[in-house]
Amino acid sequence: MVSSFCWGCLTRLPPAPRAILPPTLTAQRVASFHSSAALLAPPAKKQNKPVGGKFRQGNSARMKKKKPVERTRPPAVGERKALRKRIILSNPNALEIPGMKEVSEETMVDARLRGSILGLPVPMLDQLRAVQAFKPKQGWSIFRRPGTVVRRETLELGRLIDGISGEGEDKGKVVKKIVTGDRSTGKTVHLLQAMSMAFTKKWVVVTVPEPQDLVTASTAYAPLSDENPNVYVQPEASAALLSRTVAANKQVLSGLTVSREHAGLLKSAVKAGTTLEDLAKMGIQDPAAAWNTFQALWTELNATSPAPGFEKNFKPRPPMLVTVDGIAHWMKESKYNNVDVKPIHAHDLVFVQHFLSLLKPGPSQSSLPNGGVLLYATSASNSPTVYALDVVLKQLAARQAGVSPSSPEFPQPDPYLNADKRVLATIDTSKPVAPKEGIPEIQTLGGLSREEARGFMEYFARSGLLRENITDAWVGEKWSLAGGGVVGELERLGRRLRVTAA
Amino acid sequence: MVFILGVNFPERNLVKKSLESFFGVGNLSSTRLLARFHIHPTCKVGELANKQVLDITAALSDMKIENDLRRQYLDNIKRLKETGTYRGRRHALGLPVRGQRTRTQTKTANKLNRMERRV
Repeated sequence: MVSSFCWGCLTRLPPAPRAILPPTLTAQRVASFHSSAALLAPPAKKQNKPVGGKFRQGNSARMKKKKPVERTRPPAVGERKALRKRIILSNPNALEIPGMKEVSEETMVDARLRGSILGLPVPMLDQLRAVQAFKPKQGWSIFRRPGTVVRRETLELGRLIDGISGEGEDKGKVVKKIVTGDRSTGKTVHLLQAMSMAFTKKWVVVTVPEPQDLVTASTAYAPLSDENPNVYVQPEASAALLSRTVAANKQVLSGLTVSREHAGLLKSAVKAGTTLEDLAKMGIQDPAAAWNTFQALWTELNATSPAPGFEKNFKPRPPMLVTVDGIAHWMKESKYNNVDVKPIHAHDLVFVQHFLSLLKPGPSQSSLPNGGVLLYATSASNSPTVYALDVVLKQLAARQAGVSPSSPEFPQPDPYLNADKRVLATIDTSKPVAPKEGIPEIQTLGGLSREEARGFMEYFARSGLLRENITDAWVGEKWSLAGGGVVGELERLGRRLRVTAA
Repeated sequence: MVFILGVNFPERNLVKKSLESFFGVGNLSSTRLLARFHIHPTCKVGELANKQVLDITAALSDMKIENDLRRQYLDNIKRLKETGTYRGRRHALGLPVRGQRTRTQTKTANKLNRMERRV
């Protein structure tokens, strides 16, 4: 549309005087004395943008979209767990200790070595690894080679194991011990020492390093059979037990042969000349048959004489060491469900049942007829609170102290605390039938003595970890700091690197 | 890959999670199913024995799940509408059914209560 207004006329109007005109937007307000810089400057940016942006756009705070972070591929399956469970047994930077003695038949009973460190023989390390005697959080990785301190309890154990495999009156004895004690007092290492001695004496070692794994419902389970549907078998866990046992006791098991027929196994597979190693390997290959195989292996290891027809090549069986590290997990209901979606009690798992039944005296003969040691440890850092177990342990301690079960001082479960009756019945202290079978005892580990603590700290100093003058006064101070020689605390004090001001 | 009730599950998947992917199987029913066939809760699909897969499939086919359950769900709403109940009307109008206020916050009802409800 054309405006009716003539632009020519407008331009011809006389310009208004400058002072009257309102300051235009384009005119720069400049200081009168100097104009060029301001005029040449780029136009100032607008200070306030109109809020709201486009028409009717929300003007609430807008989040910036996060840029997708470049992620590397996660580690392969099982890699992280392997890293977590890695066990390092040697540190090439630590000094080698000249003249360090090893665990052997002579040193395990030598009382003069009390307070010194005995190294674990290198060929035995594979066996100990196989039975998972080492735990990842223990300080093996700071020394040149793994070694353990010889304390009073170690020497007692050494003498015991020596006596059982010797020819004296203790031959074929069965000793049952429940190892308790405060946190980091060396319960697991005590088991490790027992294993190393048992391997030295060519015993068969059967271990359950992680009892918790059996009750957390992380491994397969199935009813044992149609006759007893309320007892459950764990095929994978049984196969793992067999593979641990075979890997650690290969030498002993390959020298023993089958001594009878086994109902649960194929007759064609188990013949007269089959070694126990081959027998156990059948269970490892077929987890479904693992539990039957383990039972067969167990009967074989406990055989005292061959069945007719199997006399050829029968060799007497060696004593056995059975260790379980952390029994409290076996004293409550497991995470498995039965058909009615009720939790299964750990004592209904046949694996657990088997190992707990060893604590009771055997029905006709000893629970380990060829002799041996049962060491069942509690744990102080990873253990559920089970009231009934606490009572049982107190009762054991009271009995050992000579309190008669009928006396009023004998600890009884509080009737209002609902102690688990099955747990209370776990440990049976009635007189065993077999003469050489012992009743369960409790062994409480405490701190090291001052002399033992001194030997232990000298080991740190000689390994180059500790730069101190080891004097009696210094050891006494550390002994007290470690709660009366608690060995884990002493280790913590010893490994702490200190830089003394020059 | 393992077929359970006609659905293919990768072997690395948890059995419990795989079962819960069916409409009508939640935490409770999957726990019950696992307990019934003695499968531990951390079991992977690949670890199931053939018999267990068949058992689970048989048990699932006996249950009212997936389309049968959806149909039942819609039938229930349809019945309310057809008999002309207040609840049926509210379903049809896309308004809250159970006496909630409508002055504000009826998003869920607006979203879900349609003439043909999607399940």
